[in-house]
Amino acid sequence: MVHGGARRMAVRDYVPWPDKRLKTAAEPVEKITEEILGIWQDMIDTMEAMPGVGLAAPQIGVMLRLAVVDASDARGQALRMANPEVLEASAETNAHEEASPNLPGVYGKVIRPKSVTVVYTDHLGMRVRKDLTGLWATSVQHQIDHLNGKMYFDRLSKVKREMLLKKAAKKRGASGPF
Amino acid sequence: MSCLDILRWPDPRLTEVCAPVTDVESVAALVGDMFETMYAAPGRGLAAPQVGQMLRLFVMDAGWKAGEMTPLVCVNPTVSAVGAGVAAGAEGCLSMPGVEAQVSRPEVVDLTYTDLTGTRITQRLEGAAARIAQHEADHLDGVMHFDRVAEADRAALLDRYGARGGAAHGGA
Repeated sequence: MVHGGARRMAVRDYVPWPDKRLKTAAEPVEKITEEILGIWQDMIDTMEAMPGVGLAAPQIGVMLRLAVVDASDARGQALRMANPEVLEASAETNAHEEASPNLPGVYGKVIRPKSVTVVYTDHLGMRVRKDLTGLWATSVQHQIDHLNGKMYFDRLSKVKREMLLKKAAKKRGASGPF
Repeated sequence: MSCLDILRWPDPRLTEVCAPVTDVESVAALVGDMFETMYAAPGRGLAAPQVGQMLRLFVMDAGWKAGEMTPLVCVNPTVSAVGAGVAAGAEGCLSMPGVEAQVSRPEVVDLTYTDLTGTRITQRLEGAAARIAQHEADHLDGVMHFDRVAEADRAALLDRYGARGGAAHGGA
């Protein structure tokens, strides 16, 4: 939090795509423990350092169904979710340029429901329902995809997905040692 | 000081996630108005988004209806559960007058907040105070009491609210 005490900042490293952890469904969280609260905080720190509007635990190699979402301009208001699920989704859709720190330098336009109702276990260990719209809704759906071993570009057409991966490989080649 | 209008469900501002307060001094006047509004309602807790201010701030007084004034101003609050005890209890909401939800919540919580002097404080709460603090903190995340009940109970509650006229005739 903005007014927190001398808490350590912990920005974690991203798992680089195509690491298999990014293609694997994460495990459900049994109980909200101090350890889980600590992972959530690291995820928020890592998201803020990006900066991004959300993060799922597998992106930092933690194979648990944990996500954080903060699509605000003001920042400092992240929702912490365990075992999130989409309960309802609007028929109306939204197209947004999505990207991932796990495969930097590229992005793709993904069409998703504009609004969703999600249910998740909160930081108190209780199940809660939340309506999200706009960028908040896009982000939570993107995070839930990660928890199911799916990247945003897996939602593109085959051709667009191949183009994106080629472009990413080229960029990686250009910035790498060889 | 003045009494503020309380937003009624389904005002969409009641579903928004609120922004942190960056300057405590800037909310001092708002806090005064929120207390006046809460006591007049009459209620035991009021969150800033309920009066249309999309900030992470609430006021509460768990004791005043029983004759003991215990006003509390919580800026940028966080709540954490203490132990595994969970209790169900009836909750009303000033933004949804006339209906109550039966909500399960942790019985004991640590409430951490910034007070009006800018000091960060952690206080252990139980009973009604714990329930009120959690209810108000939920408002800051755009969560209503009925978002914490089973789907069927939620639908029934919304029906009851609609039947009494919903936002149109909510006079508490």
